[in-house]
Amino acid sequence: MATTTVSSVSLSLNDRITAGILALLIGGFLVFGAGLANSAVLHDTAHDVRHSYGFPCH
Amino acid sequence: MIVKTLLAALVAGLIAGVFTTVAQTARVVPIILHAEEYEGKEPAAEQPAGAEGQQQQHSSLEQPSTIGDILAAFSPITPAYAHEGEHEDEGGIMFGMSRFSGTLFANLVTGTGFSLLLTGISLLIGYPITLRNGVLWGACGWLAVHMLPAIGLPPELPGFPAADLHDRQIWWVATVLLSGAGLYLLVLRPEILAKIAGLVALAAPHIYGAPQPADISSPVPAVLGAEFAVAALATALASWIVLGLVSGYINDRFLNSA
Repeated sequence: MATTTVSSVSLSLNDRITAGILALLIGGFLVFGAGLANSAVLHDTAHDVRHSYGFPCH
Repeated sequence: MIVKTLLAALVAGLIAGVFTTVAQTARVVPIILHAEEYEGKEPAAEQPAGAEGQQQQHSSLEQPSTIGDILAAFSPITPAYAHEGEHEDEGGIMFGMSRFSGTLFANLVTGTGFSLLLTGISLLIGYPITLRNGVLWGACGWLAVHMLPAIGLPPELPGFPAADLHDRQIWWVATVLLSGAGLYLLVLRPEILAKIAGLVALAAPHIYGAPQPADISSPVPAVLGAEFAVAALATALASWIVLGLVSGYINDRFLNSA
């Protein structure tokens, strides 16, 4: 089952892992910055988003 | 090709971020603004009956800027509305944006972040996001990041009692990671042992227990809290489904067929 789905991805295995790890790192950094970072400016800017998304806040 | 894949995730995230901002503005943000009127007051339960008018007056002396804060939300330049004593450094919205622009900006960043995380997981486990399964990808993202952590830490309004922020953030991040791994093991792995391990990963943070405040009295009305929790989770679900569908569409249209 996995092989049939993998074959439709147009990246090679190596590229897939590189792109995947890169996406996870950048994505994690962005979500951390908007949702969790303990900076007053980031907190105030993202305040309503943090509450709306249920990120632990205050 | 790597760049193209990441760009596709970026575009899907930005579209979902715009949608989320519209959805939040409809229901969730008004409830937050409403709750902020009560924030910093004494819990209602401790007030003698009939003292509401007095209380109103009292707190308007303590917090003369509450109404100003709400009005300021509509002005192009907003002063800091950081909660008293929360931060040592100066707060305020970056680049002097309005409160709405700040929310839009944060949603674009968060949406892109979620989209990249979804794409990263999809690439690493070898299951592409398509238009057909996009809804399921989105629903699983919502389960892992919002619904399952909300069992221990429901979406909270400003002014709600809560345990130490650091403890809650650690529990939250651990729960999101365990829930994501648990869903993968439960849904996508055929082995019985993997499914059992998935269930254990899903249940573990709740058996351990989320950090809870010692005192749960709150000045914010409970009805607002209930409305907010439902609205916040529903809005998040809608955002994730849009994210999953748009990711799937872009992948089908521009990547998988290439």
